[in-house]
Amino acid sequence: MSYLELCNIKKSYGDGESKTEVLKGISCEIEKGSICVLLGASGSGKSTLLNIIGGIDNADSGYISIDGEKTADMNEKELTLYRRKHLGYIFQMYNLIPNLNIKENIEVGAYLSENPLDVDDILKTLGLYEHRHKLPNQLSGGQQQRTAIGRAIVKNPDILLCDEPTGALDYNTSKEILKLIEKINKKYGNTIIIVTHNDAIKNIADRVIKLRDGVIRKDYVNETKVPVSELEW
Amino acid sequence: MKNPLNKRIFREIKDEAGKYLVIFLLMTAIIGIVSGYLIGDESLKTAYDESFKKYNVEDGNFELMTKADKSLISSIEDEKVKIYENFYIEEKTEKISSTVRFFKNRKQVNKVCLWDGELPKYETEVAIDRLYAKNNELEIGDTLRIKNKSLKITGIVALSDYSALYRNNTDFMFDGVKFGVAIVTEDGFESLPQNHLHYSYSWKYNNPPADPLGKKAIDMGNDFMNSLSKKAVITNFIPRCSSNAINFAGEDMGGDRVMFITFLYLLIIIISFVFAVTTSNTIRKEANVIGTLRASGYKKSELICHYMAPSAIVLLVAAVVGNILGYTVLEKYISSAFLNSYSLTTYKTLINATAFIDTTVIPLIILLLINFIMLARVLSLSPLKFLRRDLKRHQRKKAFRLNTKIHILIRYRLRVFFQNIPNYITIFAGIFFASIIMVFGIMYSPLLENFEEKTVDSMLAPYQYVLKVPAETKTKDAEKYGAYELKTTGRDFVEEISVLGIHKNSKYFKTDIKDDGIIISSAYADKYSLKIGDKITLKESYEDKKYTFKINGIYEYPSTLAVFIDIDNFNKTFDFDKDYFTGYFSKEKIKDIDESLIASQITKDDLTKTSRQLEISMGNMMNLFICAGVGVFMLVIYLLAKIIIEKNTQSISMAKILGYNRREISKIYIHTTSIVTVVSLLLCMFITHKAIIAIWHAMMMEYSGWLPPEIPIITYVKVFILGVVTYAFVALILQRKANKIPMDEALKNVE
Ligand SMILES: Nc1ncnc2c1ncn2[C@@H]1O[C@H](COP(=O)(O)OP(=O)(O)OP(=O)(O)O)[C@@H](O)[C@H]1O
Ligand SMILES: [Mg+2]
Repeated sequence: MSYLELCNIKKSYGDGESKTEVLKGISCEIEKGSICVLLGASGSGKSTLLNIIGGIDNADSGYISIDGEKTADMNEKELTLYRRKHLGYIFQMYNLIPNLNIKENIEVGAYLSENPLDVDDILKTLGLYEHRHKLPNQLSGGQQQRTAIGRAIVKNPDILLCDEPTGALDYNTSKEILKLIEKINKKYGNTIIIVTHNDAIKNIADRVIKLRDGVIRKDYVNETKVPVSELEW
Repeated sequence: MKNPLNKRIFREIKDEAGKYLVIFLLMTAIIGIVSGYLIGDESLKTAYDESFKKYNVEDGNFELMTKADKSLISSIEDEKVKIYENFYIEEKTEKISSTVRFFKNRKQVNKVCLWDGELPKYETEVAIDRLYAKNNELEIGDTLRIKNKSLKITGIVALSDYSALYRNNTDFMFDGVKFGVAIVTEDGFESLPQNHLHYSYSWKYNNPPADPLGKKAIDMGNDFMNSLSKKAVITNFIPRCSSNAINFAGEDMGGDRVMFITFLYLLIIIISFVFAVTTSNTIRKEANVIGTLRASGYKKSELICHYMAPSAIVLLVAAVVGNILGYTVLEKYISSAFLNSYSLTTYKTLINATAFIDTTVIPLIILLLINFIMLARVLSLSPLKFLRRDLKRHQRKKAFRLNTKIHILIRYRLRVFFQNIPNYITIFAGIFFASIIMVFGIMYSPLLENFEEKTVDSMLAPYQYVLKVPAETKTKDAEKYGAYELKTTGRDFVEEISVLGIHKNSKYFKTDIKDDGIIISSAYADKYSLKIGDKITLKESYEDKKYTFKINGIYEYPSTLAVFIDIDNFNKTFDFDKDYFTGYFSKEKIKDIDESLIASQITKDDLTKTSRQLEISMGNMMNLFICAGVGVFMLVIYLLAKIIIEKNTQSISMAKILGYNRREISKIYIHTTSIVTVVSLLLCMFITHKAIIAIWHAMMMEYSGWLPPEIPIITYVKVFILGVVTYAFVALILQRKANKIPMDEALKNVE
């Protein structure tokens, strides 16, 4: 049995004439501990799907089951608790808390978990240890994104959802971030879903799903997975 | 693990130190003043209530023509009372224009409360009333001079039967300036001029009535008076239930409670809205962070608490400090306001749980509730909306159109205005509230002065005498009148109405009264909103007998609630002899009536006592009102206008890049606020006027008498100018804030 199961997810916005179907029935299954890359052009519905998986948006029909639990059955409170327990989120914008320092920002994530990872360990893994007392606006974009990753993974989530985690970063920094994600996946075995429109990134995935016009165009297991260090674009 | 977000709370407070400091100071001051008032009021009231037992206050006193001998005393005591001698001698003081009533030290009844120093030991020593001493700047060691005698002041005292210094029970108002009481030794008493000796006796019932002011007490008093009058010639009879000297202070205390608490709550509501609006602004700024936190599993409740914490903490600290100040400095300040009016016994500051609930618990609940509702509303939006920074509940379909003929700067301004309507509404409410307080503070003294002037102008006669028994005079132009007291009906609060019987073709009352008609004073008409043609029903003070009159006219007489009727009608209505009268109006001093027959002379001082006492007891409070008003005004405008600038930091920065200069930028962002402020101020002047009149009316209904709320235009002009000047100061700060916005701001945080 697969860990994450999507079954005929549909989503549309607006109604009447201006109604647009963004997701037209998405079904797929993702294995525990795998890295899954969700590809697609801008506006193809990647973020929408990710948000539905993360329980911050609702599907019009279909369901998602994670480890046997269907999120569609949960009310808002249960969903919050669910996210709190199982999910980590990384966005394109780092969304750090401006008046908390780097370490405290990561602690904000740790607070949510009953058995969080060691914050100092994470800081070292992320290469932020010497910056831990700085405020977010004293760091570069890459460092801020690493902090955001730290905040998401410190609670050791079962699933890490990344929406364009490298979208605002340059080539080298992007690679660094991806390396980190890879490292975390190896170290802690979390299931990771990365949304990107950068085709090259698919090479680091165990699983690749391509969206177009609200349907899955391609869905395959990547037999030729390469480590991030060998990735180029 | 402690919520790491908590660390932000204090940083948030630190980052916004200015805002929180101002709110803190304002709240501390208000909570301090109100709790100080409640604590002082309650402590004094408790001391006052306890004084009856502690000092064994009489159940009444009467005065006889001659000294009662033993057999008379024992005969009187057959009426189930115990009689105590309480003789006094009244003397005019020299150097100070006043009358002092000297008593021997009282050992059994109406015992003396010593405030300071010691009681007199020698014939030449005296202890005087605290309030009288204060008002006439007399201190221990000074001498009090009366005819042919100087007395050295050794002590400052309060007499429990003179908590309000009424010389005569029928006096319109008490007077702690020109009348005082004093204690001398037995020898000292003997050595005073004995021709002014009053044979006054106090009595205590063997079985006192449960409610000393109730119906039973009134009946007992009447019964006692009836049986007493059969045994001796009484010249004065005052049961405790109708003694102003004893009861007035108690009735006055606690009277302003509601006003103070309402004032506090109104302020808390305004501050809560200010907090709610500023916090919403913070939430808007931090929308994406909130979205992320919610997406990672932070609960709505955790975030509500988090955003509510700074304001709650500031109010809590303000409440604690305010309470401490309330119990210490301000309680003294407030108590002194009472002690400046009444001659109260010594008191202890009491811990007051109700005051704590009223000034601390309820304000906290109000603040938390208002903030909770506002925050819960905003934070119930989905995490996704936060992530998209889309915090509008209802999507506005289109940006509404503005006619393109309007100058672009004006259109820009209009957009700023419409974008910030909630802020401007809060500003308006704040200005309204602040102007009420300021107008109140500023109008107070002129109102009293104006009242005094008008009262003096409208006095019926330069000299007005009240006689003990009818007596004739040959003084030219002296004119007889009748006077009687009735009580109002129809409301819980009962007050006295003077009924004056006036001669036909009176030289003093310059309106004709129909034989069976009545004319009421303007004070009465204003207070009770009466018109010509209305009917009024009044009742006897101690009986249920009622009189109904139809109003034929209103006479300009602002000082007293009075009814004027024809004297023949007067005597008929109240069952007096045809020739009965109470006293004289006169243009000159009446010299041919023996002083002992004159009960009192009504002078302009008598008529203006209400206003003078109000000035003494509330006057210094009014400056607090003005300061509080200015404080609220500045706070509200500053905080809300600051939000408008902050909200538009990006656009201002962008406008700078585009080449708009400072003047144009302040035209768009600050002048809009200026216009709103000035227009609000102007508008508020009109609403405030209506509101103040209504408040004043409601307030006066709880007091005896009437002061017309005539507020000169100049008061509003002053408040308006004060408002504009205060705003100019705020605008300057805002201007500097806008100037400081760097141009790269627009490029830095792309949202
Ligand atoms: N709240 C909304 N209301 C209306 N339409 C929306 C809303 N959110 C998303 N859409 C539409 O849904 C479609 C998919 O949006 P989504 O954000 O999922 O795209 P995406 O694949 O993540 O694109 P990108 O790579 O640009 O981030 C888009 O056409 C968008 O216009
Ligand atoms: Mg997207």
